[in-house]
Formats: sequence, structure tokens, C-alpha cells
Amino acid sequence: MSDAAFAGLMLLMLAGGAAGALLLRHAWRLREGKTPWRLAGWATLVFTMVWPAFALGPARGPFIAITLISAAAFAVVASSLQVRAAKTPRAARARASGGDSLAPEPAERPTTPWRTTLRWLLAGPIGMVAAMGIGICYAVWMPGETQTRLLIGGLIVPVVWGAAMAWTLADSRILRATAVLVGTAVVGFTLAILKGL
Amino acid sequence: MTAQPRARSFSPSPDFVRAVLKGHSGLGLAFAAALYLVCLTGTLAVFAREFQRWENPTAPRMESVSAETLNRAYLAALEKAGDGVEHVFINLPNRDLPWLMVTTEKDGERESLLADADGELTGGADMLWSEFLTRLHIHLHLPRSWGGFIVGLSGVALLSSLISGILAHPRIFRDAFHLRLGGSRRLQEADLHNRIGVWALPFHVIVSLTGALLGLSIVIVGVLGLALFKGDTDKVYSLFLPPHPVDDPRPAPPLDLRPMFAQAVARAPDGRIEYVMLEHPTEMGGAALFNVRTTPNRIAGVSAFAFDREGSLYHSSKAEDSNLGEKILGSLGPLHFGWFAGYTVKIAYGILGLGLTYLAAGGVHIWLARRRDKGRPAPNWEKVWASVIWGQPLALTAAAIAAIGWPTAELVLPIAVWGVVSLLALAAAWPLAPAALSRLGRGLTGALLLFLTTFHAIGRPGGDPVATAINLSLAAGGLLLLYTVARPHLSRALV
Repeated sequence: MSDAAFAGLMLLMLAGGAAGALLLRHAWRLREGKTPWRLAGWATLVFTMVWPAFALGPARGPFIAITLISAAAFAVVASSLQVRAAKTPRAARARASGGDSLAPEPAERPTTPWRTTLRWLLAGPIGMVAAMGIGICYAVWMPGETQTRLLIGGLIVPVVWGAAMAWTLADSRILRATAVLVGTAVVGFTLAILKGL
Repeated sequence: MTAQPRARSFSPSPDFVRAVLKGHSGLGLAFAAALYLVCLTGTLAVFAREFQRWENPTAPRMESVSAETLNRAYLAALEKAGDGVEHVFINLPNRDLPWLMVTTEKDGERESLLADADGELTGGADMLWSEFLTRLHIHLHLPRSWGGFIVGLSGVALLSSLISGILAHPRIFRDAFHLRLGGSRRLQEADLHNRIGVWALPFHVIVSLTGALLGLSIVIVGVLGLALFKGDTDKVYSLFLPPHPVDDPRPAPPLDLRPMFAQAVARAPDGRIEYVMLEHPTEMGGAALFNVRTTPNRIAGVSAFAFDREGSLYHSSKAEDSNLGEKILGSLGPLHFGWFAGYTVKIAYGILGLGLTYLAAGGVHIWLARRRDKGRPAPNWEKVWASVIWGQPLALTAAAIAAIGWPTAELVLPIAVWGVVSLLALAAAWPLAPAALSRLGRGLTGALLLFLTTFHAIGRPGGDPVATAINLSLAAGGLLLLYTVARPHLSRALV
């Protein structure tokens, strides 16, 4: 493919991303009759992700599209920029205390040093071991080429570990989280060692 | 009482949201500095090859080389290195790096040399800055396994923050187009944090997932080896890497690459040889591995052919025959750094990477603004965070000046400069207010960037347009930073 053709396809992807984001923004701004615009917006974004698979490769094309759609959407969001007058800290405090909060306040939960320590152990090393148990269990038990099983098992590790982190740092029932993660690790490694590759 | 809209039934409960937000906030604060540094250096590392060209603007550029040229350059580098060379790595010209570069490895020391289109060596390749930058991103200049683990752990924390961030912000999609700057600091930071978070979410997931896997690979392979191969990690690696040649340390004349080059071309006539690795080139057990890009429409489109001393093929893996696992493995690096579709995607990665860096920094700003709004400010943390945020660009710029000024120095020079400037920036948090720290950091970084580009343009003139583009970009960044210092309303917004 020539450089000019490649650049043209890139521009089409940027245009598709911007068009999809503009359609969604229009839908978001309407009080009624949002659905057609919203559907058109999502359809444009999905189409912009799909067609590059045929032109630029089944994996490469969509990954290029995902990147360029995000960049184009940034430009659309930036075009919606509202500049406001600066608020004094006192006004900001009054706003916050008046219940007009931006987002819910994080939970204030009573804690003890051992609960805090256990929570971070669960989010860290225990979550990692549990995630590795699942990843290795996948690599051992699922069908397919060895390399594929190992790589997907490897990809599972950060995903499960990240999810375990999010869960254990949020869940107030810390003993339940401990039991689930330790149990997952024990079961995962036992199953993996029992079968082997 | 009016009926609730149906969509509300999918909304998480306020208690759930507050609990997840607590975890999101705690995790973000715990990893904030590491994430900021890894994201900032990662954004710059997208352009690592361009920085290499910037460091060597006079390097001979070419589109391709013949077998004869390749062989001549490699033999000259081998002769220059003397006896006992264990490995030779040869980068052949490609679009990103249009050089013929030969790197010899002897007693664990590497030396990179550039050659012209006739295969004559033209001198050493300066890569102090690009090496400093990429190693800082990959393992923070700590021992490789520990540093890699910390970076991988940061990737997991980022991935976890993305999960909890989406769960903790039920309005994140409803407010997808709100960007209100200049009013309440907390609203401004929250808008920027959430807009960048949601619109670049696929990019954030790709970068954090691939980064986590790359960083944790040593640990994961170790555990796999322990659980499945009785601790033999080599068996895991052997599933993905070409086999080593049979060891035969008897001395021999240098390998002749020409017949192997011809064979590699014959096996992949539409391909482009990008890289050659030689093992023990002056031993009877010598061998050469040729990497050939055969399928341009693939992220991992490289085929590999390995030849022994006699030119017999002992390993062949074609990109088009690779299985899903091999494709994923070959895609991790290009997807992580944006090295799979030329400059447009690299620039987009640069913009999105800056966004991700802002995400890491902005989370702490929201926490600090929330505390201030609630009448419980944390002035010391505000100072420390301002010194981290604006101290790192300054420290990286100072390291670049040191690397450009003394290109033959050891890697320890830019590391020391970066470390000292980072510590000085932290120390400045003691007497200075956050606004002053921010202004000082931006002002000094802007001035040093302008000095760096001038110093580079005068000290290293050359015809490489990529080096000129890098200088112009750095100068534009420097001017932008100085502009923010000169405009009080921008200064207030950037504390």
C-alpha cells in the first residue's frame, strides 16, 4: 500500500471517530429523541473499528482505529470546553457542604491496623498468588496450542490481580475476600500441579 | 412520587459506589508517583527510535543494504572489537531507523557502530539519552527483575484503577462531553480526569495490560516453570524462542553472512530483513538468526530463520504460520509502545500517553482539592506533589542535556543528574509553596528545553529531518511552558 493511501485510511479513521463522537454528543444534549442519534453514533464508532480490519489487517487495523478514534474523540470533547470564572476556596467549600457534590464522597469506614495490613496484603501478594493460580490453571487445563494457553494464562494474571485489587480495597467484608482469594490460589495451583502440561 | 426511569435500575447503589471510590482513591494515592513516572517516561519512550536519530543526526541513512554491505560492516565491527566476541546484533535499515548498525558484545560490554551504504564503519552510535529513558521506563534503573516487577505492579494498579474508576463513577458516561475548566478546582480536575479516562479507555487498557504482562513476565515465567516444569524456566522460554546452536567453542574464521542472507531472501522473497543476531561468530558452533518482516499488515509479522556455520537451516518460524500465543507475544511490545503503524499512531500514542500521565497526576489533585474543599487541606502533600509533578520534566530535561553534552559518558551520568535534580525538586518543597514550585518547575524546564535544542542544533548539526522535528517539538514544548509561566490564569490552573 502506498504512503498516500495509508495516510488516507488514517484520515478516514480520524473522521469516523470524530463523526461518531459528534453524533453521541448531539444525542447527549437532546432532551428527547436521543435514541436514533445515539445509535448512529455507536454504529459509526463500531463501523470505524471494523472496516480497518479488512484494509489493514485483522488485528492491526482495529488497533489503529481504536487509537485514532480516542484521539479524535479528545478533539471533540475539547471543542465542548467551557471556561468558567475562578471560584474562591470558600465558595467551593460552601458548594461541597451544600450537598451539590461532584461525585459521591469515598466511604469512611472504621478500620484497625491489622485490617488495613490484611487489606493491602490481599490487594498485593495474596491477590497476585490467586491470579497466578487462575492463570496457570487456564494454561494447564484449556485446550489449544501450548504457547497460546501460556500467553492467555499470562494475560489472565494482571486482569484477575487488578480485579482482585479493586475488590479487596473496596469490600468491607475482609474475611470473605481473604477466604475467596486464598481458596482460589489453593484450588488453582493444586489443579495445575495435578495435571501438569 | 414520580417513577424512576428504567435506566436507573442499572445504577450501582450509592454505598457500593462510595466503597469502590474509597478503594480507587487509596490505590491511586499509593501508586501515584510510580504511575506518573512510568507514564511520563513511557510517553517519551514511544519516540525512542526518533530520539536515537536525534542523538545521531549525522548517521548515514539508507533504505536497504546488500548482503555484501552487511557482511563487510559486520566483519569490520568484529575486527574492531578483537577476539572473544560472544554476540553480534545487526539492525538493518527500516523506516523508523534507516541505519545499518552493528553492536558487538564481549565480556558483557556492548559497543554499537554505524556503517555507511558501502559497509564502511563511520563511528560509534550515541544512545545515552534514549537508553537512559527506555531503561527508566522499563525497570526504573533498578536491578532488572526488581525494577521490572515494580513497573509491572504499577501496570496492575493502573488496570485495577481503570476497573474501579468506571465502577466508582456512575455518571462517567452521562457526563462524557462535559469539560468545565477555570471554575472550581475540584470540578476542573474531575472533568479532565473523567473525560481522559473514559474516551481513551481502550488505550489505557491496552497499555496497562501489555505493560503489566511485560513487567511481570519474569515472575510469571518463574512461577510457570516452578509449577509445571520443576523449576526449569528455560523450558518455558524454549517454547517461544529459537533453539540455541550446538555449542562448539573451537576457534573458526568469522561466519560468512552472505550465503545465509541469500537463503533468507529466498525463503521470504517479499520480506525485508530487519535484524540479524549472531552467536559465537568466531567459533565452530557459530550461528546466525535472521528476522524478516514478511507480513506488513500484521502487528507481529516477523519470520525467523536460523542457520549454522555451514549455512544449514536449523530453525524456521514463519509469521503466517504462527499460532495465537506467538502472535500475542509478538504484539505485546509494538502495542505497548505504539510501534505498529508509523508516525500517525505514534503521535496519537504520544497524545493519549500524555493524557494517561495527566490521569495519574490528576487523581492526586482531586484528592487534594477534595480535602481543601472540606476544610481539611494537606498543605505538605500539596507541596510534595507539586514538586514531583514539575520536578520530573525538569529532571528528565537535565538528564538529556547531560547525555547530549557528554555522549561518551557511562549511563550513570544521566542517572545521577536525574536523581540529583529530582531530590533538589523535592527539597524545594520545604521552603516553597505549591504555586511557586509549579511556576519554578515550568519556568526552568521551559528554559532548559530551549537551551537543549539550541545546544543540540549547534553541537550536532546534521541532515536528519527527524532530529530537526524533535528539536522543534522540544522547543515548542519549552515555549509553551514559558508561556504558562507568563500568564497568571494558566499558572493558577496548573498548580
